[in-house]
Amino acid sequence: MARLIYSLLLGLVGAAIVHIAVLLLVPAYSERDAWSRLAAREPEFQLVRMSDDAAGGSFLKGADPLFAAIGCRFNLFEGVTHLRASGELPFWSVSVYDRRGHNIYSFNDRTATDRKLDMVVTTPARMVELRKELPEAYSASVFVETTAQEGMVVVRLFVPDDSWSALVSDFIENMECRRE
Amino acid sequence: MFRTIVTTTIFLAIALGGGIASVWYALDSNRSFGSIKIGNWIAYPEAGTPNADPYSVARRARDGELPLGQAEGLRFYAKIDSEGKSLSGRCNYTLEGNVPQARFWTLYAAGPGLAAIRSTAHRNTALHSRQLLRRQDSSFAITIGPDPAPGNWISVSVPGPVVFVLTLYDTQVASAVTSAGHDFPGIVRADCRDG
Repeated sequence: MARLIYSLLLGLVGAAIVHIAVLLLVPAYSERDAWSRLAAREPEFQLVRMSDDAAGGSFLKGADPLFAAIGCRFNLFEGVTHLRASGELPFWSVSVYDRRGHNIYSFNDRTATDRKLDMVVTTPARMVELRKELPEAYSASVFVETTAQEGMVVVRLFVPDDSWSALVSDFIENMECRRE
Repeated sequence: MFRTIVTTTIFLAIALGGGIASVWYALDSNRSFGSIKIGNWIAYPEAGTPNADPYSVARRARDGELPLGQAEGLRFYAKIDSEGKSLSGRCNYTLEGNVPQARFWTLYAAGPGLAAIRSTAHRNTALHSRQLLRRQDSSFAITIGPDPAPGNWISVSVPGPVVFVLTLYDTQVASAVTSAGHDFPGIVRADCRDG
């Protein structure tokens, strides 16, 4: 009997340890996180439309039905990542996430120059190089420095009603996610 | 010998089974540390930041969620009405009051998995502040439920529990975490349909 109680108690302690271990391992081994879902759709530097209007469901959990979301995965191994788009929309916002989905940086259309979306994601080392002589192409860019080597950019576009869908499509069509 | 096997099996069953099941249970309940609660509404401003707790990190990895950044907005969830009963997709609710300062906000109903509920008929299942009918003092009343209502109405007719999601875009609420002084709409239940 004492042995049974002993193994029960030991089991509970073991359960606590397993609980912590599983909890900390889920992020590392998840195949359903945003990165994996994007990877299943498109290679890096390819835009993925995350809000599926036709199917009624959304690609990302908890997405706002009044928004269209589009994103791309990037890496900074060989160069900077340049994201560009423009269009007259009532509101848009951009978030940069690392591979695990941590939000590194976010901004919205009020922060942008001329309300155009023009963002450069770069490593701190390349940022130093860029500062020495800023290329003309980046003169209006918002710079995001990150030590993360891989990540995702998500642009969220407010669609107040269906009459805006043409403008939203324009915005998405001229969007570019490029390695430069 | 036999007793050793039995006790070891019991130990392993409790340790592995209990440990894994408890993680799953914890991830399914939407409780989280670092939340702010205002009236019936709860937000998780630290979700997605480096300060996020391990539970919300694991939940995000499992569900593929990408939380809004601070410059984008802050999302509030309501699961209970002002009497403390959980929200049902078969009941009509009135949301009345005001919303804190933001450039605009959106409101919709979602299922327990937080996916927005959509309508097959052409009905409004989401509302934003720029299409809202307001009273003279800029407060408003919104009806959410299966029965059509005059004024602001969001059509929701599903069996089972629902969550109301209110997102403030381009807002300072997250940085001014003091929940006091922020106005949020109360949720009052009216009549329900059967089933």
